[in-house]
Order: sequence, then structure tokens, then C-alpha cells
Amino acid sequence: MSTKSSDIDLQISIEEVMKKKQYENFNKWVTNFSLNLPNIWNEKSAKILNPITNNNFEERDNSAIVIGRGPSINKFEHLKLLAKSNYQGNIVCCDGKLADALNAGVTPDKFPKFYVVTIDPYPGIRKHYEHEIIESYGSEIKGMFTVLTDPQAVENARQKKIQIHWLHSLFDYNEGIKSFNNLSAVMIRAKNSEHRLPAIQTGGNVGTAAWFTAWQILKCSTVALIGINHGWEETDSWETIIYHNNKEEISEGVDKDSEVFKKLYKKIYNPDFECNCILDPLFQFYSEALKEFIERSPKDITTINATEGGSIFGNRIKSMKFNDFLRKFD
Amino acid sequence: MKTNFKKNIDEKNIDEKNIDEKNIDEKNIDEKKDLTQEEFEEYIAKSGAKGSFMVYRSNKKEDELGLDEL
Repeated sequence: MSTKSSDIDLQISIEEVMKKKQYENFNKWVTNFSLNLPNIWNEKSAKILNPITNNNFEERDNSAIVIGRGPSINKFEHLKLLAKSNYQGNIVCCDGKLADALNAGVTPDKFPKFYVVTIDPYPGIRKHYEHEIIESYGSEIKGMFTVLTDPQAVENARQKKIQIHWLHSLFDYNEGIKSFNNLSAVMIRAKNSEHRLPAIQTGGNVGTAAWFTAWQILKCSTVALIGINHGWEETDSWETIIYHNNKEEISEGVDKDSEVFKKLYKKIYNPDFECNCILDPLFQFYSEALKEFIERSPKDITTINATEGGSIFGNRIKSMKFNDFLRKFD
Repeated sequence: MKTNFKKNIDEKNIDEKNIDEKNIDEKNIDEKKDLTQEEFEEYIAKSGAKGSFMVYRSNKKEDELGLDEL
């Protein structure tokens, strides 16, 4: 399906709005980076997670399941299905679903190639690394953290013995030598010129960032998604939807009777899974970006959406039930 | 690239229980109900919603997919 230039213009303008909003926190990012820097100097680059440098790398093992916390993952009990499977590939878990995954039996004991990803620079994510169960498995989990991540969140992970690996989140590298992406890289290399970190596109959220790490860093040629709805189920409460499941951080909801409400909260039809999905404005932004990047990903990368719902469908996206994926890759 | 901003399904149609959802087509797209930049900006400003991070854009399009190392 071709894309109209007005669609692209709108997506670009919305990205500009988000960029402006994010830049309100620029000083916080710099502070986070400064506090993280001594640890970044001493800890590992996520580059070493690239299996191609490892002699034991086998193409046939080259798949990953990205675990997000979208509503379908609980609806279809995907974690339970995964825990019971003999899947041999990589598990790339978004930070917000880590404790649930471990509690469901998706653990590094059973799935040794177990990774967790964090990109947020905000303190709200500290809680993802506070659950007791993480301590039991932390030492077997490889964590990927952006250099802008809230330092206390990384410290919580460190306390739980998660193996810390650092990466850059690209945001201004296009601005050249004076960009913060470049300056921070120079500072990281100050003590060791070989200490270089991969730089990822986050797509604005940890789910998309996890998909990027799966093929770009872990070199997986097949990446399956579960819990990556980038949208809400019709059965989710309006409070969940209106507040993006984040009421404590959102100051004002939107009047459900207002004219603009239906534009902000769109209901769309997912033809692959034959279901409806509700997109809040943030998910409209995330969804567009992820679909664009899947379409632009190298041709040898296969993205399988096994979420069984949500807004991620279209070109280069193969949809299948998670059970079918597991049967195929067991 | 598919988009959800423009190609949304008409709300009235989708709320009808008996609709054959598989056959929803372009005729059901209501161009008048598209989200505008101003409406999105107002939502972000009023709600305080900021999401996690931003999308990286560059003149070097291949860089937008990430760099092996920096």
C-alpha cells in the first residue's frame, strides 16, 4: 500500500512535537550520563553481545522473541506458553515485563540467552528492577542500558547482579561533531579508545528498541514479537487507555465527550488477527515508527508478529499465533 | 509504510456489532477525522504524556537504523 505524502508529513510533524517535548528533559539526560560515566568506563559495551564474534555462533539458533507488556501477552497467556516450550533462541525482554516473565517461568535457567533492555531516562523505571525475583536470576541476565538511563534504575539492576552492558540511544548524531551523541562517545572513549558502544534507534519506546537490539546487536535473522501491541484491547478500561496505563504521571486526561476524543483514541482493525485495537496518541506515534523501521530493515531480517493483537501489521510483518511460532522454532 | 493516522476505520461502522470486519475498505475511511499536529501537540501539552524517548532522524537514512559502534 502506498503512503500519501500528507501521511508522512503528519508523522514527521508529530515526531517534531515529541522531540520538542523530550528536549525539555535534556539537562536530565546530561546529568544521567555524567553519573553513569564512571560505570560506563568500567563496565561492558553491548557490542560484545554480538554473537558473530563468538566461535559458537550457529545460524540455526539465530532467532529471538521480544517480550513487551502489551495487553495481549496476558490475554493469551503467552508467557506460560513460552515457559512450557523448548525454545532455544534468544529472549529479549522489555524492562517492564521482566519480573512477570521470571514469575511465569521464563527464566535464564531455562532460556540461557536471556536479555533485558532499558532505554528510559526517567526515574519511573526504577521499579522494574526492584522485584525480589530478579535477584534469584540476575547474575544470568544480560542487561542492555542506554547511557542516558536513570542511574538509580541501573544501580537497582546492578544490585540484583544483572550483567550491565551499555549502548547509545541515537537522538542528535545527525548534528555532527558537537552532537551529544558524539560528545558522550568521545568521553566514553577517553580512557580506552577501544571502548565503543553500539548506537541504536529506539523508535521512542523500549519495545521498538528491543526489536532493534535483537537483530542489530544479537544478529538474529528472525525476530518474533509478543506483547508488542502498540495499542490497547477493546476490553481495556478507558482509564487505562486515556492515561496510557500511567495515571500517576499524566496530569490531565481527555474528556471522553469532546470532539477531539475520537481522533486522539482511534479504533483500527487488525486484518491479520481479525481484531480491533485502540490507539492512544502515543501508540499512534510508536506504531508508525516501528512499522516503518520493520519495512526498512535489511531484507534478511524476518519480523514475526505473534502478539495476536495490536497495531503492528503490514509490509514485511508476518503474523502468526505464538503457539504456531513456538511449534516452528521449538 | 502503512499509517493509522489517515486510514482509520469509521467509528460508527466499527461499533456496529454485525459489521463484516474483514471487508472494511477504503470507503470507510473518514478523512475528516484525522488527527492534526495541533491536536496532538495540545494532547501532549495538556496530559504531560511524554513517552520514553524520541525517534532519531538523519539525512543519512541508513544511520536511522543504528550504528554498530560509536
